[in-house]
Amino acid sequence: MGAQISSMRRIAAGAVAATMLLAGCGGGLGSEAQTVEGPVKIGLLVPQSGVYKSLGDDMKNAWELYLDQHDGQLGGRDVETTLADEGEEASTGQAAAERLVNRENVLAVTGVVSSATMNGVADMFESSQIPLVGSNASPTTLTDVEYIWRTSYVNDEPGKALGEYVADKVDGSVYLLAADYQAGIDEVEGFKETFGPAGGETADEVYTPFPTTTNYQPFLAKIRQSDAKAAFTFYAGGAAVDFVKQFKAFGLDSQADLYSAGFLTEGGVLDAQGAAAEGVLTSMNYNHDLDNEINKEFVAAYEEAYDKKPTTYAMASYDAAKVLDMAIAEAGDDLTSTTLNEAIGGLGDIESPRGTWHFNDIGTPVQMWYLREVQKVDGGYSNVVIDELGTLG
Amino acid sequence: MLDWFDANLVTMVDGVAYGLLLFTLAVGLSLIFGMMDVLNLAHGTLYLIGAYAAYALSDGSWTGLLIALLVGVLAGVAGGGVLAALTQPLAQRGHLDQALLTLGIAFIASDIFSKIFGSEVLPISVPSQVAGSITVFGQVYPVYRLLFIAIAGGLAVMVYLLFERSSLGALVRATVADRDMVRASGVDTRIVMFGVFAFGAALAALGGVLGAPILAPGPSVDETVLVLSLVVVVVGGLGSVTGALLGALLIGQVQTLGVALMPVYAPFLIFGAMLLVLAWRPQGLMSLVARA
Repeated sequence: MGAQISSMRRIAAGAVAATMLLAGCGGGLGSEAQTVEGPVKIGLLVPQSGVYKSLGDDMKNAWELYLDQHDGQLGGRDVETTLADEGEEASTGQAAAERLVNRENVLAVTGVVSSATMNGVADMFESSQIPLVGSNASPTTLTDVEYIWRTSYVNDEPGKALGEYVADKVDGSVYLLAADYQAGIDEVEGFKETFGPAGGETADEVYTPFPTTTNYQPFLAKIRQSDAKAAFTFYAGGAAVDFVKQFKAFGLDSQADLYSAGFLTEGGVLDAQGAAAEGVLTSMNYNHDLDNEINKEFVAAYEEAYDKKPTTYAMASYDAAKVLDMAIAEAGDDLTSTTLNEAIGGLGDIESPRGTWHFNDIGTPVQMWYLREVQKVDGGYSNVVIDELGTLG
Repeated sequence: MLDWFDANLVTMVDGVAYGLLLFTLAVGLSLIFGMMDVLNLAHGTLYLIGAYAAYALSDGSWTGLLIALLVGVLAGVAGGGVLAALTQPLAQRGHLDQALLTLGIAFIASDIFSKIFGSEVLPISVPSQVAGSITVFGQVYPVYRLLFIAIAGGLAVMVYLLFERSSLGALVRATVADRDMVRASGVDTRIVMFGVFAFGAALAALGGVLGAPILAPGPSVDETVLVLSLVVVVVGGLGSVTGALLGALLIGQVQTLGVALMPVYAPFLIFGAMLLVLAWRPQGLMSLVARA
C-alpha cells in the first residue's frame, strides 16, 4: 500500500514537473500560465553582513518605509518581500540571487550594492527574464541589457559631473587617488573624461589597494610632494572615514581642496569623520536638503522611522519601490515578469525626492547632479548643496 | 640622498607607529601559537574588543582613555581566558580543529559587535591635548601617533625584558622548548600556558584601545589585523618576542615607506616581503638574532 502511494506520488510529481516545464516554456512565449494573482513576491537583495552592511540597511529601511506608506501594497497588489543577503563577495551575492530567482520564484528583484555582484548576476536575470530594479550597483559595462534597471546612476557619473567644475575652479594640478577596484577606476575614468577636455591638469593618478589599505600616510606624502592644489578621490565606507581623517591629520587640507564622488561623505561615514570632513566637496544625485515637496515628506518620514537622514542609497531604494509600484499598476491584471518589465520601460517621468527623472535607453536615470560641501549645521556636520553640476544620463 | 631622507623621514616615522601597532597584536599571536600550540584565529576579535572599549569609554579626556585602557585590558584577559579554556580540549586534535573553533568564535563575535555597535567604522576621540597635528621634520604629523610610538615602544621594551631577561620569561621560554621537562621539574605548565594566553590577549586588547584612533573599529577590521599579524608572525618567526618585533617593524616599513616608493605595487608588497623572508630565512627573522 505504502509502496503504491509512493509510486503514485512519484508519477504525480513527474506530471507536475512536466507541467511546470511546459508552462515554463510557454511563459517565455508570452503564455498566461504565469500570470500572478493575489500577492506579488519581490526579492530584496542587499548585504546583511560584511563591509557594505550599512548601505544594505539604508536600502532595506527605505524599501520598508515605502511599503509602510502604501499599506504594504505596490500597484494595488499586496507585496511579500523576500530578503536575501548579498554579503560582500560576488559569489555570495550570486548565490542569493539564484535562490530568489530559481527557488523563491519572485516576480522581480531589487537592491544589489556591489558592482561585482551586478556583473555576476546580470546574465541570469537577462536569460530568466526577471526584471532587476537595482538601487545601487551600476558598472559602466552594463549597457546592453533589457531586464536590468537602475534607480541610482552609472558608476562613472559622479566623476563625470565634477570634471569640468574642478578644471575651472582649481588653479594648479589635481591629484587623482582612488580605491583599486572597479568602482574606483570607473569614477576616475569618468572624471578624466570631462576634466581633460576642460583644460584640467593632472598631477598623478594612483590607486590604493582595497580593502587592505587603512593607512593613507604614504599616499598623502606623495600628494604633498606633487604640490597638487586639489585631489579628486573615490572612497566609500570605512575607507572613506580613514581617508578623510588622515587627509586632515597630515595637514593636506591646507595645501589642497578635497573633491570626491559623494560616497566619501555619505551617510554614517560623515558622523565618524566629524570635523575632519569640513569643507570636503562632493558630487551626488541627491541630498537630504533638496528643496521639493516629495523630498521634504520623504526626509521627515524617514527621520521619524529611523532617526537619521536618508542617504542616496535609501533614496534610490525608495525610488525602486516607486518604479515597481507604478509598473505593477500599469501591467494590471496581466501581471507577469515580462509584462512588468515592459511596463517599467514605458514609465516616463518619475517624481522622486531627487526631483523628476526618467530612464534612458540603457536603463539608468537621466537626472540632475549637485555639488555639495560639508558644513557645520546645528552643531553637527552635514552635506549642503551649494551648486548644480548639470544633467547626466 | 639627504633630499630623499627629507622627503621620506615622516613616512618612516609613520612606519614605526604602524609597526609597533602590529607588534602589540602579533606578539600575543606568536607566543600563543609558539607556546600553547594553539592557532588563535580569534586574535583580531581581541583587537576589536579593545577598540570598541575605546569607542565606548574614551570621551576625549585622559580619565576616559585610562578607563578604556583598564576595561579593554580586563576584557582582553577575560577573552584570553575563555579562548584558552575552549581550545584546551582540542589540544590533541591538531590545528585545523582549533582554527575552526576560533574562527567560528571570531564570526560570532563580529556579528555581536555589529549588532551592538552597528556596521559603520566608528570615530574615536583622543584627549584634546594630543588631538591635533604638529610639524615634524617640516611636515605635518598627528600628535597622537607620536604619543602612540612612545607608549607602544615602551611596551615593546617591557615585553622584551619580561620574556627574554626575567626568570618568569625563562620559565615561559623553557615551556616552549620542552614542556615535559618543565612539568617534570614540578611546574604546573597549564598555569604558565593560561597566563601566556591571557597576557597575549590583553596585549592585543591594549593595542586595540591605543590603536583605535589609528585603525578604527568596524566590520572586518578583525580580519585585517589578523592577516597582518599572521604575516608578522611568519616573517618574524614563531614564539619569539624579538622575532615579532623585527617582523612588525619590517612590515610597518613595507606598508608605509614601501608603498610611498612603489605605490603601483602596493597590493603585492606585504606578501612579496613575506615571500623574500621565507626564501632567505625560512625560520623567520629571529633566526638572525638567535645565531648572533
